[in-house]
Amino acid sequence: MRTEHALIERRLPRLFAVLLLALLALTAWQWRNGPPVAASILALLPSGAGDARLQQAEARMQEPIQHDLLVLVGHPQRERAIALAGELGSQWRDSGHFGQVRWQLDSDLDALRQHLRESRLDLLPAADRRLLIERPDAFIEQRAAALFDPFASFSLLPPEQDWFGLGARAQQALNFGGRVQPDLASGVLLVAEPGMTWAVLHLRSRGDAFDMQSPLVIAQGIAAARQGVEAESGQLLATGGALYAAAGQHKAMSEMSLIGGAASLGTLLLLLIGFRRPRVLLSLLPIGVALVAGCAACVLIFRQINALTLVLGASLIGVAADYPLHYLSKSWGHAEWRSWSALRSTLPGLSLSLGTNLIGYLALAFTPFPALTQIAAFSAAGLIGAYLCSVCLLPAWLNGMQLRPAPRLLALATRTISWHGRLRQGRGTYWLLALFLAFCAGGIWQLHSQNDLRQWLGKDPALFAQSQRIVELTGQQPTSQFFLVRASDEAQLLQRQQALGARLDGLVGNSQLRSYLSLNQLLAPTEQLQATRAALRALPEHWQPLLDLGIPADALQAELQQLLEQPQANLDQALASPQAEPWRALWLGRDDQGVAAIVSLQGQTDSAVLQGAANGLDGVQLVDRLGELNRLFAATQVSAAELKLISCLAIVLLLCIPFGLGGALRVVCLPLLAALASLACLGWLGQPLTLFSLFGLLLITAIGVDYAILMRENIGGPAVSLLGTLLSAVSSWLSFGLLLISQTPAIANFGLAISLGLMFCFLLSPWAAPRHTAQVQP
Amino acid sequence: MKALARFTLLIGLLLTALSSQAEPLPLDQLSQQLSQHPVVRGPFVQEKHLRALPQPLTSSGTFVLAADAGLLWKLEKPLKQDYRIDANGIAKRTADGWQMQPGRDVAAQQSKLFLDVLKGNHSGLARNFELQLSGDAKAWTLTMTPTSLLLKQVFSRIDISGGELVERIELHEVQGDRTLLRMPASVAGDDLSAEERSDFAH
Repeated sequence: MRTEHALIERRLPRLFAVLLLALLALTAWQWRNGPPVAASILALLPSGAGDARLQQAEARMQEPIQHDLLVLVGHPQRERAIALAGELGSQWRDSGHFGQVRWQLDSDLDALRQHLRESRLDLLPAADRRLLIERPDAFIEQRAAALFDPFASFSLLPPEQDWFGLGARAQQALNFGGRVQPDLASGVLLVAEPGMTWAVLHLRSRGDAFDMQSPLVIAQGIAAARQGVEAESGQLLATGGALYAAAGQHKAMSEMSLIGGAASLGTLLLLLIGFRRPRVLLSLLPIGVALVAGCAACVLIFRQINALTLVLGASLIGVAADYPLHYLSKSWGHAEWRSWSALRSTLPGLSLSLGTNLIGYLALAFTPFPALTQIAAFSAAGLIGAYLCSVCLLPAWLNGMQLRPAPRLLALATRTISWHGRLRQGRGTYWLLALFLAFCAGGIWQLHSQNDLRQWLGKDPALFAQSQRIVELTGQQPTSQFFLVRASDEAQLLQRQQALGARLDGLVGNSQLRSYLSLNQLLAPTEQLQATRAALRALPEHWQPLLDLGIPADALQAELQQLLEQPQANLDQALASPQAEPWRALWLGRDDQGVAAIVSLQGQTDSAVLQGAANGLDGVQLVDRLGELNRLFAATQVSAAELKLISCLAIVLLLCIPFGLGGALRVVCLPLLAALASLACLGWLGQPLTLFSLFGLLLITAIGVDYAILMRENIGGPAVSLLGTLLSAVSSWLSFGLLLISQTPAIANFGLAISLGLMFCFLLSPWAAPRHTAQVQP
Repeated sequence: MKALARFTLLIGLLLTALSSQAEPLPLDQLSQQLSQHPVVRGPFVQEKHLRALPQPLTSSGTFVLAADAGLLWKLEKPLKQDYRIDANGIAKRTADGWQMQPGRDVAAQQSKLFLDVLKGNHSGLARNFELQLSGDAKAWTLTMTPTSLLLKQVFSRIDISGGELVERIELHEVQGDRTLLRMPASVAGDDLSAEERSDFAH
C-alpha cells in the first residue's frame, strides 16, 4: 500500500508535467501570429434563427457596421474645414489602412449625364410618375415653367436632351439625401450649421474591423487626426464599428488586468494571512494553468477567444484557487499536515466539487448564446486544468512543508460553529427559515427584469455622443432594421419591392421614416415602365404649352421616340453604373429558390409600424435583429431557469452516490435557497434581473454546492470545514465580486448577482452538515 | 451639384469675386460702386439660347435687390411667377403665400452666400474663377473663367458688363447653350416700398 502510494506520488507529477508542456506548446503555436483575441461583441450574440438567405442578408447589413467609418471635420471657417478634410483624406488614402477614402463628390459629370439619359424612366420618382400618368397637362405646364425658372434646380441634362424634364426629375433620385451637400468649387461634401462647417469623410477599412489589430490602429489614427484638427481650433467627430471595437477592446483589456490583478493579489494575501508560509503561494499555480488551459481550449474550439470571455474568464481565478484550499485548510485540523495524505482524504470532495462545477458551467453551454458557450468552454477547460494541477503536481511541490496556520481563525470558526449548533438545537432554524422566506418573498415581489440589449452592452459614452451628433448633422441614420424581399425572378422582385415602396413612401410622407433604399428606385418593374411609356405616348395631346414656347414639334417627337425605344436595362447593367453604388449592396443574387434583395432604412422607426408595412405582401419580411434579440433574451430567461433546474437534478444524481438522496437534496437545496435570497436582494436593491445576473445565479448553484459538499464531508471537523468554506468563498468573491467594478453593465450585474450568491452560500453552508455532527462536535 | 440657381450664383460670384479681390484697384472700385446702393430695381430680360432652337426662350419681368433683405424676382412673361431669395433660401409665391423651395440646398447655399456678400461678408469663391476686368467705371466688362473642377464642367465662361450698375450677364455653358440676362434700366434707390417690404417680411 505505501509503496503503491509512493509510486503514484512519484509518477503523477511527471505525467502532469508532460501534459503541461504539451499545453504550453499548443498555446505557443496558437499565439504564433499574435494574440488570437477578437473584440466583437456582435460575434457573441446568437445568430438569428433563419435560413441561409436571411443570414446572408444580415451579414450584408453588418458589413458597413464593421468596415465603414464616418468622420466629420468641423471648422468655423468653411475654407479651413475643406482644407482640413483634404489633408486628412489624402493622408488616410496614402496610409494603406483603408480600402476606400471618399471626401469629394465624384466630379465626372459626363458619366453622370450618360447614366441619367439612359435610365431616367427607371429613376423617375413615384410622385412624378403619378403626375405624368394622371395629370399630363400639369406635368407639361410645370416643365414649361421650369424652363423659365431662373432658380430651377440645376439640371445635368441640357434642355434639348430633356424637353419633358424627366431627367431633371430623375436627378432627384440620385441625390445624396440628408443635409450633406457638395461644395461647388472643391466637390468636398459639406454640412453647414450656424457658426460651423463640417466636411464629411467616408472611410472603408481594409480588414475586418473586429480583428484585434486594425481597430486599434484606426482608433489611434482618428485620435491623432483629432489632435491635429483641434490644434487648428477645429473639431472632429467620428463613428464606426471599428472605433466601438477599439474602445471595447481597450476597456476589456484594462478591466481584465485590473480584475485579474486584484483577484490574484487578494488571493495571495489570503493565503499568506491564513497559512503564514510563503511556499503556500505555490498553490496559485493552478490559477495559471486554468487560464492557459481555458484560452487554449477556446482557441481550439472557436478559433479565437473573445475579449469578453477573457474578462469573465479572469474570474475563474477564484474558483481555481479553491481546489488547493480544500486540502490546505485541513492543516487546521491535523497537528501534522502532509500534502499527499491531505489530498487523499479530500480527493472525493475535490472530485465532487469539480463535477458539480462542471455541471454548472456546462449548463451555460446549452443556452443559445455564443458568449456563454465560450465562457462555459473556457471555464470547463480551466477547471479541469486547475484540478489536475492541484491533484497531480501541487502535492509534490508542497511535500514536506510544515503548515502552521493562524490559530485565531480556527478559534473564530469554532465559536461560530458552536453558536450555530445551539441555534440548530432549538426551534431557531424554523424561525430563521420563516424570516428568510419572508425576506425572499418581499424582495422577489419588487424584482423587475430588463432585456434591452443596448442598455447592457455599455457603449462608450463619448463615442455614442459623437454618433448621435453625426446623425443630427448628416441626417443619415442607418438602422439595423431592414426588409428582405424574395421572389422567383428579377421582374417579380422589382414588382414586390415596388409594392413595399409604395407603403414606405407613405411612412416617409408622414415622417415615420426618414428614407429608404430599394432596387426598384434604380430599375423600374416592367409593368411600371409600360404604364409610364403609355402615358408618354399620349403626351402629344398635352404638349401644346411647350410648342407655344417655340420648341419645334419634331424635337419633341424625336425625344419621345428615343424614350419609347430605349432598351430596358437589366439589373446587372443597372447595378454596374457608377451611380448605383449605394444600391449595389442591396442585391443578394440568385440561388435555387430564386432571387432576393434588401430594402434598407434610414431613421429610427417603431418596428410595429414597419411590420405593418410588410403585412400582406408576398415575399416581404421585416428583419429586426435588435428587437428579435431583446425578445430572445426575455425568452431565454425562462429556458435559463429550466437549465438551472436540470443542472440541479444532475447534481443531485451525482451527489446521491456519496450522500444518499436526503443528503444530496440538502446539499442542493442550500445553494438554491442562496440563489433565491440573491434574487430577493436584487429586488430590495432595485437592481434589474438581466439575463446575465440570471446566469450568475446559475453558476452560484454550482459553486454553492461546492461549499455544501465541503461542510457535508466534514473532514477535520465542522470548524475546520467552515474555515475552508470561508477561505473558498472569499477567494471566489475576490474574483467574481470584483466584476462589480466593470463599466459594462452586463458584467457588473453578473458580478453583483454572484457576490450576493456567494455571501448567502457561505451563510447557509453550516446547515449542510448532518444534524448529529453539529451537535457532537464542539 | 444638384441644384444650382444660376442667377444667384452668378451675382454671388460676381460680388464675391469683386469684394475679395484685394490687389488691382479697379476691381475694388467696381465692388464699392456696385455695393453702395441700399436698393436696386429695374426690368430684366432673360434669353436662353439653346442649340436646338432657332429662337431663344425669352422671358421678362422686374427685380428688386435690397442690400439688407434679399432679392425679389418677378417673372411676368410668358408666365407670371414671383421668386424671393433671402437668408432662408429660395421661396416661390403661391396662392397660399411664399413657399420655401425644398431640397435645393446648393441654391440655398449660394443665396446665403450672395446675401453675405451683399452685407460685406467676404468669402473666397474668387479662387474658383480667373477674373479679367476691362474698361472704365462707365463701361466695364468682367470675364470670369472657372478654374475649379466642378464649375469647369458646367460653365466655359461668364461675362458681366455694365456701367453704374450691372447691365448684362452672359453664361456660356460647356454644352454649347448660353443664357443672356439683361438689366438695361436698373435704378438705384434708398428705400423699399411698403409692398416690397411686406414681400420680404412674410
